[in-house]
Amino acid sequence: MTSIGTGYDLANSIFSPDGRNFQVEYAVKAVENGGTSIGIRCKDGVVLAVEKVITSKLLKPGANKRIATIDKHLGVVYSGMVPDGHHFVDRARDEARAWRETFKTPISTSDLSSRMGGYLQAYTLYQSVRPFGITAIIGGFDSELEAPVDGQVGSGPSIGAGGKVEGKHGGPGLYMIEPSGMYWGYYGAATGKGRQAAKAELEKLNLAEGTLDLKQAVKEAAKIIYIAQQDNKDKEFELEMSWISNADGPTKGRHMEVPKDLLEEAERLAKKAISEDDEEEEEGNEKMEE
Amino acid sequence: MFRNNYDNDSVTFSPQGRIFQVEYAAEAVKQGSVVVGLTSKTHAVLCAIKRNAEELSSYQKKLFAVDEHVGLAIAGLTSDARVLSNFMKQQCLSERLTYDRAMPLELLVSLIGDKAQLNTQHYGRRPYGVGLLVAGVDETGPHLFEFQPSGLTQEMLACAIGARSQMARTYLEKNLDQFAACGRDELIHHGLRALKETLVQDRELTLENTSVGVVGLKELGKKALEPFKVHDGPDVKDWINSVADEAEAETSAEGGEGEGEGGEGMQVDE
Amino acid sequence: MDHRPQAWGRPRDDVYGAYDASYLQANGPNQHTQSPIVTGTSVVAMKFKDGVVMAADNLASYGSLARFTDVKRIRTFADTSIIGFGGDVSDMQYLDRHLTELGIDEAYQSEAGHTLNARNLHKYLSNLLYNRRSKFDPLWNHLLVAGLDEESRPFLAAADLLGTTFTSPSLATGFGGMLAQPIMRRYVPDEAAVAGVSRDQAVEVIRECMKVLFYRDARSLDSYSLAIVTKDGVELRENEKLEQQSWAFADRIKGYGTQTV
Repeated sequence: MTSIGTGYDLANSIFSPDGRNFQVEYAVKAVENGGTSIGIRCKDGVVLAVEKVITSKLLKPGANKRIATIDKHLGVVYSGMVPDGHHFVDRARDEARAWRETFKTPISTSDLSSRMGGYLQAYTLYQSVRPFGITAIIGGFDSELEAPVDGQVGSGPSIGAGGKVEGKHGGPGLYMIEPSGMYWGYYGAATGKGRQAAKAELEKLNLAEGTLDLKQAVKEAAKIIYIAQQDNKDKEFELEMSWISNADGPTKGRHMEVPKDLLEEAERLAKKAISEDDEEEEEGNEKMEE
Repeated sequence: MFRNNYDNDSVTFSPQGRIFQVEYAAEAVKQGSVVVGLTSKTHAVLCAIKRNAEELSSYQKKLFAVDEHVGLAIAGLTSDARVLSNFMKQQCLSERLTYDRAMPLELLVSLIGDKAQLNTQHYGRRPYGVGLLVAGVDETGPHLFEFQPSGLTQEMLACAIGARSQMARTYLEKNLDQFAACGRDELIHHGLRALKETLVQDRELTLENTSVGVVGLKELGKKALEPFKVHDGPDVKDWINSVADEAEAETSAEGGEGEGEGGEGMQVDE
Repeated sequence: MDHRPQAWGRPRDDVYGAYDASYLQANGPNQHTQSPIVTGTSVVAMKFKDGVVMAADNLASYGSLARFTDVKRIRTFADTSIIGFGGDVSDMQYLDRHLTELGIDEAYQSEAGHTLNARNLHKYLSNLLYNRRSKFDPLWNHLLVAGLDEESRPFLAAADLLGTTFTSPSLATGFGGMLAQPIMRRYVPDEAAVAGVSRDQAVEVIRECMKVLFYRDARSLDSYSLAIVTKDGVELRENEKLEQQSWAFADRIKGYGTQTV
């Protein structure tokens, strides 16, 4: 690596002569070693999924959740250094709380992403701190209904100016934030060790067309995690998934774990899809040999 | 000699994305004497080997009560552990004062995890040089958590940290399936046997060097609590004897078949 | 005329005499809320064998003016507990936001099966109220908290603006303490009696109490909220109406106002 030995990579916030901050790039390396995380934004909600590598048989199965709830309607998953992820989640919760205190209404997915992008960016500015060793995916569903003001107890006058904005608002949101603090909105986002394979699969879903629904997305997400994991088959892992629908959907606008039966169904289909792929591959190989 | 430039502080990533200072802190945990923790459906047990600096000195405490329903075991720098232990005590008391309830374990452990994480991201601090096993019972039953200097906390069914703890972990992995159904004394028995695996030749579990901490539910499905208690000295005599008897029985049965269920785990160190 | 900024928006000295600016001075004692402004009246609640029934009318009064007639004064918490608010409505709204935050915080762990039960909630709120009164800045409310405790038994307790707490098989705030309590106590004089009261009976008693309160409390309304909390969750109906009112007793009341006969 060209960075080593130049001295420009020994502290955070230092530019190299060609304009790079190596410490941030190294932080990205920490992310690239972590278990794969993905997010899918579909027409009626968002799905988050993560591959949790089982580092020890002694770990309690099903415990040690990696997907966190930030506000009722917001969830986060991340790849990289897990304690850094906790720090990120804590801060995101503080931001969501502060927003409610100021504006008496829930923070939107894009506003939270902006605030957190700013927070991560600040950790690239000083020698006294190091950047976050995570890439985080934020998923949310901003209410499409007329949002009540927090603490509102009556409906107010039934006629007269209400200060309401006409037209459609709210909807699903998905953002991915990198250690540099840079973030983009996505239809499908992937990070961590298996991100390349996961991205290739996400592209096949044509998410921009807005045809995939939430239940299908859950199944696709499970499949993608299984496919992305193919390269380290020897490592055991646990699949964790969460989802957010609109107020009429299965989660009623809240971020929650995917129910057990649906998760198991999705895992079963994912395993099946993978074994079929393997068979095809084998068949292909045989033909090649012929 | 190759000089590592990336290990001077905890705010510098290596080109591979590692933070050496944190990894070194994890080494300090391995210097501490071993502690073992394990859980059943009703109980959480901690077992520890205590060290004395010299023949005539007292033994260093390894187990601490945090609250009625939580206790912890330490491996590494004792003074760092006391900082965390005191913090946890305060948090538990505050939870009782504010909500009149026992602090949920997961919440308690995440608080020290977050505290430790900050030390790995800001200059001028150092990571905690201690690993903890936190055992307790809350609304959702018995729990065991491992805490590492990196700030990583994980819920475990069983765990061992400290010097030569790999031996104990091997024992725990081998017998993991049995723990859930174990009664209180059975679970302690497994804990001490795991502990025994880590001992070097000619060392034994004694009344002086062994500590056992127990917390649990008096009855499965009921709320009544058996508060966390550390057992030392004469209190652990029967338990140690039961483990010793088994070892003898095994030696006498050598050549023949093993002693069934109990025999298997003992072979690692011999 | 005085054009200095400090005189802006004030009565003219030359017309109304010297302005009393003493309240603008920062020295002297600090004064916080001295009285509630927009208020809700009674909250009533009683236990029955499987849970608790609670009711409060939908009125927020501005002094003696019936100012807002669709104000819901019972709120749920985590779908396991209910809180009824008597007293200042803006302080109630503050508490409502506070409880929303608390509910979100608690839900971080909810997958692990933890949630504050009614007893935890009551402890928290009474601490909050006591803390505020100790700063001489009270939240001007009288709360009833109902739900189940950790042993799944019905739980009902009150906390007031001083942080005083009280528990009983039946409770009422404000006027209800005088008018509704005697009625409810006929059915649940003590804890032992709770086991003998069914859900329907308890609802019936609470409806009766709401009616008596509407007859005799001038700051009350005939539209009210009724909540029933059991182990199956909370059932909250926010637009109940008082039925079968009879004002026949009214002309027999003697001794008030300008009445001479």
